[in-house]
Amino acid sequence: MKHGEFKYIGKRVPRVDGPERTTGQLKYMTDLQFPNMVWGKVLRAKYPHAKIISIDTTEAEALEGVVAVLTYKDIPGFNGFGIVDPDQPVLCDDVVRTTSDAVALVAAETEEIAEEALSLIKVEYKELEVVSDPEYAMTESAPKLHPSGNTYSHVKIKNGDVEKAFSEADFIIENTFISPRQMHAFIETEGGWAMVEKDGLLTIYCPGQYAYRDRLQVARALALNPDRIRIVSSPLGGAFGGKDEITVQIYLALLAIHTNGRPVKLHLKREESVQAGIKRHPFKVEVKTAVKNDGTIIGHKVRAVADTGAYASLGGAVIALAIEHACGPYKIPNIDIEGFCVYTNNGVSGAFRGFGVNQVCVGIETHLDMISEKLKMCPIELRKTLAYREGEVSSLGHLVKSSVGTYQTLEAAETCDLWKNRDKYKSQESEPWKKRGIGIATSFHGVGMGIGVPDYGAATIELLPDGRFLVGVGCEEIGGGNGTVYALIAAECLRSDLSNIAVIQGDTSKTIDGGTVTASRSTYSGGRAVATAAPFMIKLLTETAAEMLEVPLEKVTLADNRIDIADHSISSVSYQEIYQYLNSKNWSTKVQGHFYLPKEKDEIKGSGGAPHHIYGYMSHVVLVEVDTLTGETEVLRVVAIPDCGRVMNLQGLEGQTEGGAIMGIGYTLYEDVIIEKGVHRTKNLTDYIIPTIQETPVIETIPVENPEPSGPFGAKGIGEVVMIPIIPAITNAIYDAVGVRIKHLPATPERVHQALKDKKLKAVRVRR
Amino acid sequence: MRVSEIDVINPNSVTECLEILANNNGDYRLIAGGTDAVVRMKDGKWRPTVWINIKDMDSLNFIHLVEDEIHIGPLTTHSELIKSPILRERADLIVEAARQVGATQIQNMGTIGGNMGTASPAGDLIPPLFVLNARIELSSLSGKRIIPIEEFFIGPGKTVMLPNEMITNLIITPQKKNEIGIFEKLGPRKAQAISIVNVACSLQMDQNRKCIGGKIAFGSVAPTVIRAKKCEAMLTLADLDENMIENIGEVAWKEVMPISDIRASAIYRRDMAKALLKRGLFRLMKRWEKA
Repeated sequence: MKHGEFKYIGKRVPRVDGPERTTGQLKYMTDLQFPNMVWGKVLRAKYPHAKIISIDTTEAEALEGVVAVLTYKDIPGFNGFGIVDPDQPVLCDDVVRTTSDAVALVAAETEEIAEEALSLIKVEYKELEVVSDPEYAMTESAPKLHPSGNTYSHVKIKNGDVEKAFSEADFIIENTFISPRQMHAFIETEGGWAMVEKDGLLTIYCPGQYAYRDRLQVARALALNPDRIRIVSSPLGGAFGGKDEITVQIYLALLAIHTNGRPVKLHLKREESVQAGIKRHPFKVEVKTAVKNDGTIIGHKVRAVADTGAYASLGGAVIALAIEHACGPYKIPNIDIEGFCVYTNNGVSGAFRGFGVNQVCVGIETHLDMISEKLKMCPIELRKTLAYREGEVSSLGHLVKSSVGTYQTLEAAETCDLWKNRDKYKSQESEPWKKRGIGIATSFHGVGMGIGVPDYGAATIELLPDGRFLVGVGCEEIGGGNGTVYALIAAECLRSDLSNIAVIQGDTSKTIDGGTVTASRSTYSGGRAVATAAPFMIKLLTETAAEMLEVPLEKVTLADNRIDIADHSISSVSYQEIYQYLNSKNWSTKVQGHFYLPKEKDEIKGSGGAPHHIYGYMSHVVLVEVDTLTGETEVLRVVAIPDCGRVMNLQGLEGQTEGGAIMGIGYTLYEDVIIEKGVHRTKNLTDYIIPTIQETPVIETIPVENPEPSGPFGAKGIGEVVMIPIIPAITNAIYDAVGVRIKHLPATPERVHQALKDKKLKAVRVRR
Repeated sequence: MRVSEIDVINPNSVTECLEILANNNGDYRLIAGGTDAVVRMKDGKWRPTVWINIKDMDSLNFIHLVEDEIHIGPLTTHSELIKSPILRERADLIVEAARQVGATQIQNMGTIGGNMGTASPAGDLIPPLFVLNARIELSSLSGKRIIPIEEFFIGPGKTVMLPNEMITNLIITPQKKNEIGIFEKLGPRKAQAISIVNVACSLQMDQNRKCIGGKIAFGSVAPTVIRAKKCEAMLTLADLDENMIENIGEVAWKEVMPISDIRASAIYRRDMAKALLKRGLFRLMKRWEKA
């Protein structure tokens, strides 16, 4: 189908929830207050690693206004949570392994009293040796943080003979890259509220990325039938992966069963969110590439070590996805990739937009830049030769059968204004001591869960009394605009106006289980489920109309916002009439659509879930200006070239590419939660630097559309890849500007300045 | 002390405020814009029994040209500094510095008096006040005293102001026709950032690039803002060409005694004192030539 045939798909559609979000009318769950509400607070561990000798809550309980003080003894069920391995205690009983750990909970009449009560809980600790370096953690001499040892997972992918490749190489490039501990820094910190309803139903209103899985984790800790728990998880003030794991749902549930039916609210202050919230895994990535003088890359070897902090959360999956993507979207015949996910006492790392790919893409993309420089080849040409196409075998050795748009993104990069006129743009430095550079990088990101994890989408469409449709999808609106995509897919399929579609998301009592809003999957899986449900609704509408007017079905057709009847005195039936008819007969007006995401048949042995069936591909071209006096880097222009299959909503796509670019700029230049010996030195947003509008460059989006046949109207996922290639594109541009390679991110002014000093010193030595 | 138990009183005049200050045991505190005080209260660092709220005391909010001096009321907000025609024309480096403090919300609330009282070594308004020869009027029930700004600060968060005193005026010497000034700041990002290093310069120019005198003050490189007297001495040695600017910059290194913290290492701060001074002088000369 061509664009022109669609009414909404691919057009610029304003967010259906836009006005209420921008005017502040929308109440987030953490905005809500109730007259009889009590406040919850969490007592965090005082030390990053210590034995708990005793916990004394007597004084706290005696404080006026305290409603409940809870410790591990008050957990009715299993004292643990974690999406894959529930190795994190809800409330610690014997040992604390990070200052993110929770030791006790308090509910009180006011937030202030709750805070004061925390200070009255006496916990006696015996400090233990802190494990802060993942390499040390993997040695025999390090104290074991968990009974199974400190190496949580070890994954590898081998293909061909990499050692032979290195022996046959004309030259070898070898580097080590260090990545930052990025914080999600969502505007709404972790929080929510809960209460036990009159009928005993436990209701939890807490922003999350998969209400049904949160419910299972709560049920396990409370030893409660999941059917007796309702979780409302949407809308969110941002998540980016940071609300994928349990945040405060179990604390809320535990407190709610001790407050006599009063609602209890818990909302982390920013400082507590910095200390306790999940972060991106910092990686050390050692990379070695074997190259022939004609530019052929014959071997690539990677060893990646991920610091997962004190608990696994999704660390195993993060390192697995990292090694799956460590060779880029290319065909390198000989590879040897391995990854370690390691426990330390450094907070907790888990899911974050990009999920391990951000950290590893820097290696391959920097090396490609170095190779093209050494061989005087165009970096885009080099990538074009190296990129696998649909139907070709990737570096991992698997035949890629789904849509691959890498080549097209590179062609678009080559012809974009910034690249074509790069010499002109580079010569326009604003002051004599500033230097400009242009960089390019390419990457990709799997869509959906990969092998070994259930992956399905589900949606409902309900005809409402007023003749409108209510589309229900479990996937939460975390800010990315998936709700608008669901609405416009339904509108397109049902030939309805967009204004006649309402959307509900993330409520276990109202939406059916359709999986997570993670893994760049919610447009693809939720959208496809809506598109699958739509024909059932059309069937319901047409059959009902035929029955109402007693005409044969072939006389009945779906028209814009109504059903048309041929050869009849009544030429059309409205949806309101159809609703009234169905309702009078007590028949359901709701249909469902289900969709299982396609998967590859065989897992690459030892890889932890590779390969994916579908990937989204992307290239970024970036213009930077570096101040050689101070080391400051400013990103001036970004060209974002995503291959997301068919574009669903151009405005939504731009929202993603722009937000992703800014988050990628933050990762590359500014952001890092610094933890020393297990203790956070970064405490708040005053010392955690995220880009502001002043650091936001001109961002241009050039989508290349390579429709994916399995997706709704040909769509695939885009939510994560939009922040990935920009990272090495910026560091490559810095090199282009001033000739230094920054391998330890973020590339702060101080690091760039130091690199420039080192380079100067080296030049002086060489001259001597 | 719980936050909810802290009282707030709103004196109607400076005299009433001074009386309150004179009669308390040091557990009352002044609050104006609250951009620092509220943060410290939340952190549990400042929990006075009573906040003396002076924010609405209009008599302390003014910018006047008085003979050869500019008088700035301590309750003047950063936004008001930015908008002031007097300052724009006669003391533009205060305007430049105020523009680089926090973001609009902070500029709307934070006051120049509060910036002095907080006495942060990284305070952005302080270096410009150093080079504009600022004097601070402190009032108490027993009278007034005028303190030159270089004697006002004694350490991070510490000033010579007594518990029964308050700032009632800031007096600066406006720039003459042949005087030009610049404020340079390096923060971890462009907006909403605490300075890693900042510097203010005010130069008296002859014709061309000949400088006949000037003042330079650095922030964030010592326990208080400091004057760079060695650099200042070099300003008049020769024309401020690129070579000379380079040489002056090299000396900046010797003037500063920075510490390492989460924002930057001491070595980087030293290098940046040099870099910012050079950058500032380059830009200033460019501007002077254009004018």
